[in-house]
Amino acid sequence: MNIFVRLRKRNFISYISLYIIIFLYSLAILADFISPYPYNKQFRDTPLCPPTKINFFDKNGKFHLRPFVYEYKLVNPSLNKYEIDRNKICPIYFFVKGERRKILGLFPSRRYLFGVKEGKIFLFGTDMHGRDIFSRVLYGARISLSIGIIGVLISFFLGFLIGGISGYFGGKIDNVLMRLVEIFMMFPSFYLMLALRAVFPLNLSSFQVYLLIVIILSLIGWAGLARIIRGMVLSIKEEEYVLSAKALGIPTFRIIFRHIIPNTFSYSITAITLSIPGYILGESTLSLLGLGIQEPYPSWGNMLSVCIGNLRILSNAPWMLIPGFFIFLTIICFNFLGDGLRDVCDPKNW
Amino acid sequence: MGKILEIKNVVVGNEEIKILRDISFEVEEREIISIVGESGCGKSITLRTIIKLLPQNLNILSGKIFFEGLEITKLKEKEMQNIRGKKIGMIFQEPSSFLNPLFTIGNQIEEGINEKVEKDKKKERVIKILEEMGLSYNVYYQYPHQLSGGMQQRAMIAMALINNPVLLLADEPTTALDVTTAFGIISLLKNLILIHNLSIIFVTHDISLAKYLSDRIFVMYAGIIVEKGPSIEVYNSPLHPYTQKLINCLPEKYNKGEKIKTIEGEVPSFKNLPLGCPFSPRCEIKNKICEKRIPPEIKIGNRIVRCFKYGNFMES
Repeated sequence: MNIFVRLRKRNFISYISLYIIIFLYSLAILADFISPYPYNKQFRDTPLCPPTKINFFDKNGKFHLRPFVYEYKLVNPSLNKYEIDRNKICPIYFFVKGERRKILGLFPSRRYLFGVKEGKIFLFGTDMHGRDIFSRVLYGARISLSIGIIGVLISFFLGFLIGGISGYFGGKIDNVLMRLVEIFMMFPSFYLMLALRAVFPLNLSSFQVYLLIVIILSLIGWAGLARIIRGMVLSIKEEEYVLSAKALGIPTFRIIFRHIIPNTFSYSITAITLSIPGYILGESTLSLLGLGIQEPYPSWGNMLSVCIGNLRILSNAPWMLIPGFFIFLTIICFNFLGDGLRDVCDPKNW
Repeated sequence: MGKILEIKNVVVGNEEIKILRDISFEVEEREIISIVGESGCGKSITLRTIIKLLPQNLNILSGKIFFEGLEITKLKEKEMQNIRGKKIGMIFQEPSSFLNPLFTIGNQIEEGINEKVEKDKKKERVIKILEEMGLSYNVYYQYPHQLSGGMQQRAMIAMALINNPVLLLADEPTTALDVTTAFGIISLLKNLILIHNLSIIFVTHDISLAKYLSDRIFVMYAGIIVEKGPSIEVYNSPLHPYTQKLINCLPEKYNKGEKIKTIEGEVPSFKNLPLGCPFSPRCEIKNKICEKRIPPEIKIGNRIVRCFKYGNFMES
C-alpha cells in the first residue's frame, strides 16, 4: 500500500495513469455487464451510425431528469446520411433487461448496466455492419490489454532467466546463450512475426490465435531484454553486496534472483511498462494484416484495421477510429506509470 | 585451547603472478589475530582465501587449509556454502556498499539464517542480535542508506554473527569510520569473543589498533608474512626491518615538530617481485643474500620472523 502513497507524492501524473489503467482493465473485465449490446450484434438498418448524443433538454427546452437519446434514422443509405428524429424520446435506464448472457462466463444475467427500452444507444456510433463500437471497444480491451500483460510476463521471465544465468556464470554458458539471443535478434522483428504466424494455419479458433500471438510476440521480445539484463548482471555481480551475500553462504541461484535481479529493476520496471504498448501494437499490426484476432471477435487492432485504407470511412465516420484513441491512452498511461514506478522502486528515493 | 584454523604453506595466484607465497599460520579458539601491512600486500586476499571467495582469476595453487580439522581446500562450492556464514562470518571495509541497497536490514540478516524456523522466530533472533550490537529495534525496518557508517558496520557484524560462527574475518572494518565510531566497533568485537566464543582475524593497516585489539600480530609484506608474534612484543620490539619502519612511522612515535615519516619506496607490484626478500629494495640493512633468496621462517622465542638478519645467514 505504501507504494501508492509514494507514487502519489513523487509523481502525480503516473499516479493518475495508474488509476486510468485500473479503470481500463476493469472495463475490460466487466465488458459483458457494461456494454449495452453483445460484440457481434448487428443492426443492419443502422450501419455507420454516428455516436448518439445524450440529452437532458428536449426540443422545447424542457428539462428531463432522466437523460434520453433521440432516434437516428437512415435517410440516404448510399451516403449513410442520418437524421435525428426529435419527436421520439428514448430515456436511458440503468439495469435494463436485454438478451441473456453470462457475465465473465459464469453468472447468467439479463441485466445490462445501462440501455434504452426503445430505440438504440450507440455511444461511439456503429461500424459498417451496424455493430455498436462502444461494446466492441470494451470486448476488444480484453484482448488488447491482456496480450500486453501476458506477453510481458512470458518474455520477462525468459529474459531474466537467460540474461541472469548468462551474466552470472559467464564463460561457455554465456557464449551459447548469447549466440542464441543473437539468432533471435538477427531477424527483423516484423518479418519474424509474419513468418512465425505463417507457420501456423489460418483457420484457428479465436482463442488459439490469441495464444499464438502472445507466444509469437513474447518470443520476439525476450531476446533484446535478455541481452540487457545480462549486461546489468555482469556489472552488478561485481558489486560488493554480492560478495557479502556469498560470504553469508547464500546459494548461487538465490543470489542471482534475490540480490542481483532486483537491482536491475530500476531499468527493467521501466522496460516492462514501456514494452506493454509494443505488444498491444504488435497485436494490432497482426490484426491489421488480417493475421491476428479474427472477426467477429473484436480487438482494438482489428477494429482499426477495418478503417485503415478506406478513405470514405475515415472522412464520413471518424468515430471508427475510437479504438485508436484507446490504444493511445493505454500506451501513454503505461509510459507515465513506468516512469513513476522507476522512481518509487528505488529505496534511495524514499 | 584448540586450533580452529590451520593454514599450511598456501600459495595463491595464477600462471603469471603469485599473490600469496607460502602463508602458514594457525588461529586458536577465542583468539584475535591482526594482519597488518600496507595496501596491496595481500591481506584481504588472505581472508578471501580462507573463505574461498577469491577473485575469478586467482586460485589456491598449493597448500592446505584446515578449518576445525576439515580440509576446506578440497571442498566443493556447495559444501563451502554450508561453512560460509554458518561457521565463518565475514565483515568488510565499506559497509555501505556491502549491504544490498534494496532490502531492509532485518530482511538481509534474516536471509542469512540457515535453519528453517518460523518468520516470527527469525525476526526475534534478528532483533536480539541487533540489540546486542547496540542498535535499536527499528533498525530492523530501515534500509542501509538510512543508517550511518557506524550503524551499517554494526548491522554487518550482526549479519555475520547471526548463525553464531566460530571465526569472524574482519577486512578493515574500521577504515571507513572515524576514530570514535571505530573505537565503538573495536570494543564491540572484543566483547563478542567472550559472548560468542569467537575467534577473529582482523585485517588493518593500523598497527597500534592491532596492538590494542589483538593477541597476536602478523605483519605481511608482498604476499609473505614477514613477522608473527604476540602483539605487545611485536609492537614494542619489532624484529623485521619492515615492522620497525612501520612502527617508526606511527604518529605517536613523533617528536614535536617532526615531519611525517614514510617508508622509502613502494610495495613492489605483484607482476615484478624481487627475486629474493621482497622487502630488499627498500631495506637499509640488506645483504647480498637478501636479493637472491626468500628468507625462511626463523624462530626467535615465541616469535617468527623472515629476515636473514637473524640466524647465521649474514656471513655466507
